[in-house]
Amino acid sequence: MNGEPGAAAHSACAQCLRRSWLVAQLSGPLDCNCRADGRLVDLLALPDEQLIEALAGRRRIELRQRYARFTPEQLRGVDGIAQVCMHDPGYPPALHGSGAPATLFASCDPQRLSRVTARPVVALVGTARATDYGAEMARALGRGLAASGVTVAGELVGGIAQAAHEGASETGTSLAVLAGGMDVAPPAARRSLLGRIERDGAAVSESPSTTPRRQWNAAAAARIVAGLAEVTVAVEAEDSARELAGATVARALGRTVGAVPGRVTSRASRGCHALLRDGAVLIRGAGDVLDLLYGVERAHEQPHAVRDRLEPRLRSVLERVGAGLDTPQKLTAGAARPAELLQALSELELLGLLARGAGGRYVPCDAIDARV
Amino acid sequence: MLARAHTFTIEGLQPRHVTVEVDVRAGLPAFTIVGLADAAVRERVRSAILNCGYEFPGRRITASLAPGDVPKAGVALDLALACAVLAGGGQIPRSLLDGHVLFGELALDGELRPCRGTLAVAEATRRDRLGKLVVAGACAREAELVDGLDVAIADSLSSAVRVLGGGEQDVARVETGGVAKRCAAAAPDLHEVRGQDHAVRALVIAAAGGHNCLLSGPPGTGKTMLAQRIVSILPPLSRAEAIEVTRIRGIVETTTGGLVSERPWRAPHHSITTAGLIGGARRDSIGEVALAHNGVLFLDELSEFARPVLEALRQPLEDGRVAIARAGHSTIYPSRFMLLAATNPCPCGYAGVVERCRCGEAELARHRRRLSGPLLDRIDLLAQLDLDGAHDRTTPAPISSSQARELVAGARERQVARLRGAGVSLNAHMDAGLLRHHVSLDERGEQMLRAAGERGLLSARGRDRVLRVARTIADLNGSHSVRPRDLGSALALRGDGGLGGKRAA
Repeated sequence: MNGEPGAAAHSACAQCLRRSWLVAQLSGPLDCNCRADGRLVDLLALPDEQLIEALAGRRRIELRQRYARFTPEQLRGVDGIAQVCMHDPGYPPALHGSGAPATLFASCDPQRLSRVTARPVVALVGTARATDYGAEMARALGRGLAASGVTVAGELVGGIAQAAHEGASETGTSLAVLAGGMDVAPPAARRSLLGRIERDGAAVSESPSTTPRRQWNAAAAARIVAGLAEVTVAVEAEDSARELAGATVARALGRTVGAVPGRVTSRASRGCHALLRDGAVLIRGAGDVLDLLYGVERAHEQPHAVRDRLEPRLRSVLERVGAGLDTPQKLTAGAARPAELLQALSELELLGLLARGAGGRYVPCDAIDARV
Repeated sequence: MLARAHTFTIEGLQPRHVTVEVDVRAGLPAFTIVGLADAAVRERVRSAILNCGYEFPGRRITASLAPGDVPKAGVALDLALACAVLAGGGQIPRSLLDGHVLFGELALDGELRPCRGTLAVAEATRRDRLGKLVVAGACAREAELVDGLDVAIADSLSSAVRVLGGGEQDVARVETGGVAKRCAAAAPDLHEVRGQDHAVRALVIAAAGGHNCLLSGPPGTGKTMLAQRIVSILPPLSRAEAIEVTRIRGIVETTTGGLVSERPWRAPHHSITTAGLIGGARRDSIGEVALAHNGVLFLDELSEFARPVLEALRQPLEDGRVAIARAGHSTIYPSRFMLLAATNPCPCGYAGVVERCRCGEAELARHRRRLSGPLLDRIDLLAQLDLDGAHDRTTPAPISSSQARELVAGARERQVARLRGAGVSLNAHMDAGLLRHHVSLDERGEQMLRAAGERGLLSARGRDRVLRVARTIADLNGSHSVRPRDLGSALALRGDGGLGGKRAA
């Protein structure tokens, strides 16, 4: 039963809506199962009857009765939220596959959603506690990919995902996957970001409107993000199931997985290094991802507009910061003329090649005019 | 018979002239004091008079303290009241009281005790030409700081009476352990700070220009150690400054042991209240900002201070004074101090060290929010301390206190010469007009400032702060103009540079 044209907000079929309702009803047991590796994804792939059997426990009989009595009107409360079910032509084709949610709830109209997902989609995933380096890489990747007409997908959480959305919404479209209902306010820190994403891109969720965020939603959102994307890039992740969730799902679906390397001594990048060792594609910048999507076109050590014209004294300071001498104390230790070093640091900061990170540490970053 | 004596009470920082009138009449024995004095005055005066071998008039005694509507806190009225009672009872001639200011507390045995606020009272006595000031020996040196004032020392009520009659004064006891001595004893030296050359340089710049400075670094890297050494590199107080400091100190402490020669150093604990910091808790209580006048106010663990307390620092930082208004009175305290603050870069202190920092994003954001805002807007310099430097025990210290003091003194001399007639003497206190006049940049410098503005690194206020610091760095280098290098250093040291919030690999 496909939706009638014109009734954009109520286009999902009853069967799919009932599935979404059922999953929301089982939030409690799902929360209990979301910690174990991969179990949540397996559970969410079960058909309705088996899901009730597996999770409902003593509520089994009552839930079956309510399941039988379900009418789509029970989920049709909020205006402005589109329901796109898997039988709808606007449903992202990449999501058809095991474990994908039956209905997507979107804050934009379904045409916009299908336009956004019709482009190549790249997921940028990783830790919620990003280092300055990780956030800077995510931002640069998001910015570069969006500028090249790629849709950047990610959850709406802090860290890598946030930086990726920020970068992407500067230059193009991004697609956010929310945990919880579309009309549930996101955390204050990301409210304005969501506004910027929705201006050109789209935000979707698998939870019916007014459903509060639950613990399992976060883990489940990772499978949607990876499912939507052609290529999933882990930008910075520790070696833990939670931070690698997106990459794990992408690999299980047989999609391409890329990873951005970090310093090998840094715990923050251990997950990425593990992925690389297991055969993930090395990603150094947006160019590498575009190569994956469109094939290698040209040798792509592109000239860096600002960096290559640096005076030697500035270049050597930049290289030393890149090598881990990131505080003024470390840089000026033993220097004959500390004032000149401070001046060089300021000049590099003014050129946009350095930024101040945690505790005032210097972080190398790409200049704005070095996109892609 | 009516007798009249003169004394002072302290209101905030201001001494207030009090006329003590005593009327002794026939009637049932009674001792009534009107005019809002402390209740215990009566008992001390009665016992002191009797224990000194005088007679307490067994008649109806009425004492009035004028102006009658001002509450008179403190104990300094005792001596004046006792002498007036003696004169009113006819035991000493009334005329002796004229031309004297009697200032001191009486013990029950008649001994005269030192009181707080001697210097302020001495100045007021001189200003109002009230004549000779009679004080206890312990505060004589403080009173003698006022030129052209006749000070008489008395150790007890009977010596005071003798002094009033033109007799011999007592010999001042030499006070040991006064504030001045205490400060000079254990001033730590800058050469004990190793491996934090960068922060030391920043501190010297801060001292040279009187800039407010934030010390940021992981726990145990020596923020407090460094901060304590700033007093040792600041130039000694000028006489005028020392008098101001002594006056304020004298109102808090009974005896300052003469002129205070060391810069004030105040380091209140972060649990301090607004009233404790600014003043005005009780009628005459002085806050830490006034006590730090002409010196240094050090706020360790800046992010732990309550937000309203830090907000209250804005006026003193901006105007160099703080006006306290309470029901029935208002007071202005001078508070031109240098603010030194220390903080961890994040709640756990190890921001930027992935293996150690345990702070989540929300915690970092909260920490950043607490620090940023109006207070940080007034901090010119960031002195960053490093974890690796803290383990450095072999490198020699970059500079000793005496070398630094010379540098600072030289830079300050240049500032004073340049700012003569402008009403300020330190770069940190230059306003926008003075900045335009005294800081001229070359083409390259202007370009750097423009770039900083365009990158969003500097606000308009931040720009002024950077220029002030750049001026000081140029002064330290003995340079007449502000070169791009000075500006570059000032930019790298700018106060809000240490507030990046994420983890660094």
